[in-house]
Amino acid sequence: METSFAITGKGYVLMAADTTAARSIVKMKTDEDKIKTLSPHLLMAYSGEPGDTVQFAEYVERNIRLYQIRNVYALRPAAAASWIRRSLAESLRSRKPYSVNLLLGGYDTSSYNPQLFWIDYLGTMTEVPFAAHGYGAYFALSLLDRYHDPSASLEEGLDTLRRCIDEVSKRLVVTPGKYKVKIVDKDGVREIEL
Amino acid sequence: MSIMDHNGGSVIAMVGKDCVAIASDLRLGDRALSISSNFQRIFPITDRIYVGLPGLGTDVATLRERFRFRVNMYTIKEEREIEPETFAHLVSSTLYEHRFGPYFIEPVMAGMSKTPSGGYKPFIAATDLIGCLNFAKDFVVAGTASSKLYGVAEGLWEPDLEPEDLFETISQTLLNAADRDAFSGWGAIVHIITKDKIITRTLKGRMD
Amino acid sequence: MATAPVHQPSGFSFENKLRNDFLVEKGIPLPKATSTGTTIVGCLFKDGIILGADTRATEGPIVADKNCEKIHYITESIRCCGAGTAADTEFTTALISSNMELHGLETGRKPRVVTAMTMLKQYLYRYQGHVGAALVLGGVDATGPQLFTIHPHGSTDKLPYVTMGSGSLAAMAVFESGWKANMEREDALNLVKAAIAAGIFNDLGSGSNIDACIITANHTEMLRNVEMPNQRVQKERDYKFRRGTTAWKKEEVRKLVVDEQVTLLGGGDEMDVS
Repeated sequence: METSFAITGKGYVLMAADTTAARSIVKMKTDEDKIKTLSPHLLMAYSGEPGDTVQFAEYVERNIRLYQIRNVYALRPAAAASWIRRSLAESLRSRKPYSVNLLLGGYDTSSYNPQLFWIDYLGTMTEVPFAAHGYGAYFALSLLDRYHDPSASLEEGLDTLRRCIDEVSKRLVVTPGKYKVKIVDKDGVREIEL
Repeated sequence: MSIMDHNGGSVIAMVGKDCVAIASDLRLGDRALSISSNFQRIFPITDRIYVGLPGLGTDVATLRERFRFRVNMYTIKEEREIEPETFAHLVSSTLYEHRFGPYFIEPVMAGMSKTPSGGYKPFIAATDLIGCLNFAKDFVVAGTASSKLYGVAEGLWEPDLEPEDLFETISQTLLNAADRDAFSGWGAIVHIITKDKIITRTLKGRMD
Repeated sequence: MATAPVHQPSGFSFENKLRNDFLVEKGIPLPKATSTGTTIVGCLFKDGIILGADTRATEGPIVADKNCEKIHYITESIRCCGAGTAADTEFTTALISSNMELHGLETGRKPRVVTAMTMLKQYLYRYQGHVGAALVLGGVDATGPQLFTIHPHGSTDKLPYVTMGSGSLAAMAVFESGWKANMEREDALNLVKAAIAAGIFNDLGSGSNIDACIITANHTEMLRNVEMPNQRVQKERDYKFRRGTTAWKKEEVRKLVVDEQVTLLGGGDEMDVS
């Protein structure tokens, strides 16, 4: 089952998403990247209806890129989140809405703050210190309530993330195998091996 | 389960002596799963008008954008700030326009309206999801805990409460009603509006 | 990218229809709008019409408003009581009232009750009962006193005494036993009060106070809360909380009045006019 997590720490946002692409009961692929880099300081983890996810993520990616080309500066995380939410809410009023859930993590280069947004397919949006989507959320959120520290160093943050992943592997019936982990901080976006 | 219960949350507004208060819990859920304990659903419209939007989370954001747009258009056209009574009718007509495909929100408004003599008078109002206005003289409630809020508020509210007493009454009403509602809680926020200042307090609430 | 619409088209918007249907498809039922269980009545008497209404608004089993107004203004000498979906009665009567005013200005005459009745029934028929307004329309015009009921689907009746809403049966029982042709104003008002009271006390959807409106050829008298049989008694104790009961984590005070302190520099005794 699809699962994605994200946590904020001291000056960074960590995001993890499973890498399985499934169709019905078959695993088609185990190295799918479900975290897109939208701009130098912005990451988006997406999950939901196969097909919708990639289509919508690419649509968002191109539009955020277009904005940056036109205006030199990229949208700040809160502004990007607001635009993405609106796109989803408008899509929901169309004949065939996108069924996509998102986690949007970014580093605001103006206020020097990491920001994380939880967005679902209805266009519900809220800023949170940590978030998760999919069945993993039921395990991870309670765990993060206990262990999350907004001023944690990267090492501590990764430890917390490992706890989440281990817990889900241990308790969820259909566990995703591998995760891809990315981080966004003042230096931009990079991938991390757990 | 109704769609109104999907994200949870409740709002209450009360009249006091030369002041009004509006309060809300801070939970945002996805059915039974709590996502956020800091979800703001009360927004300032002008210096002296606040609106609370309990209901479906996506519509909280959409309607907030819509009201901001319409209030800005009003301010530009009229070259003056909107009055609470006028804003209530703006909310009502926006919702009734969507009579046959409603937003799942039951707005609650609180503010101080200008009197002809230059003073300020407390004002509260609420509407249902298709915009039927309810102007009350005491209190208005909405959201998943509304049935409990009605009962507690009916017992605790009394006329002419000073701002500090109104704060205690509205806070205790909200906290105790939210404790009996599975979909509301996780902290609360209270705004007390008087003629010359707005006091905003974040309450300590049960986290279950 | 979407642009904000500056021009607002009039009429209902169906932009959320697809989304709401999609949510229903997902197995989430849509909530019902506020409906008012109501007792509204109207009756003919010697000099004109008396309309009556209770003042309770309900949301399912909950009393949402204990003293709402159900007698709506149409023109100076025409009024309309509303039952059914609260928002529909409110907005339908407001729309027709506006159109009647314009009609009056255009023709230069006092508009008639039948005109309002026709406007209402055509509007309601157009929406095939989806606008859930059940109305009692009454007034006095050039043709004398007129009294109608209008049902949500657009059908109308013209009768000497009428009742509507969930309390209509209780109220009608009172009318059937007490109404006579050419009643005196006093007797007619008492009959209307008794009819509404029957609704208030026997129908759970109706309650609180009695509103009445007496319309005669040259005068309209709105009797708001003419009878208040359900006044709340003074509470014997108050439940004020001691200040400091509620624990709070954070406080923010925004002052709307900017205080300003003027400090005169130098001597400050006289203005420098050089």
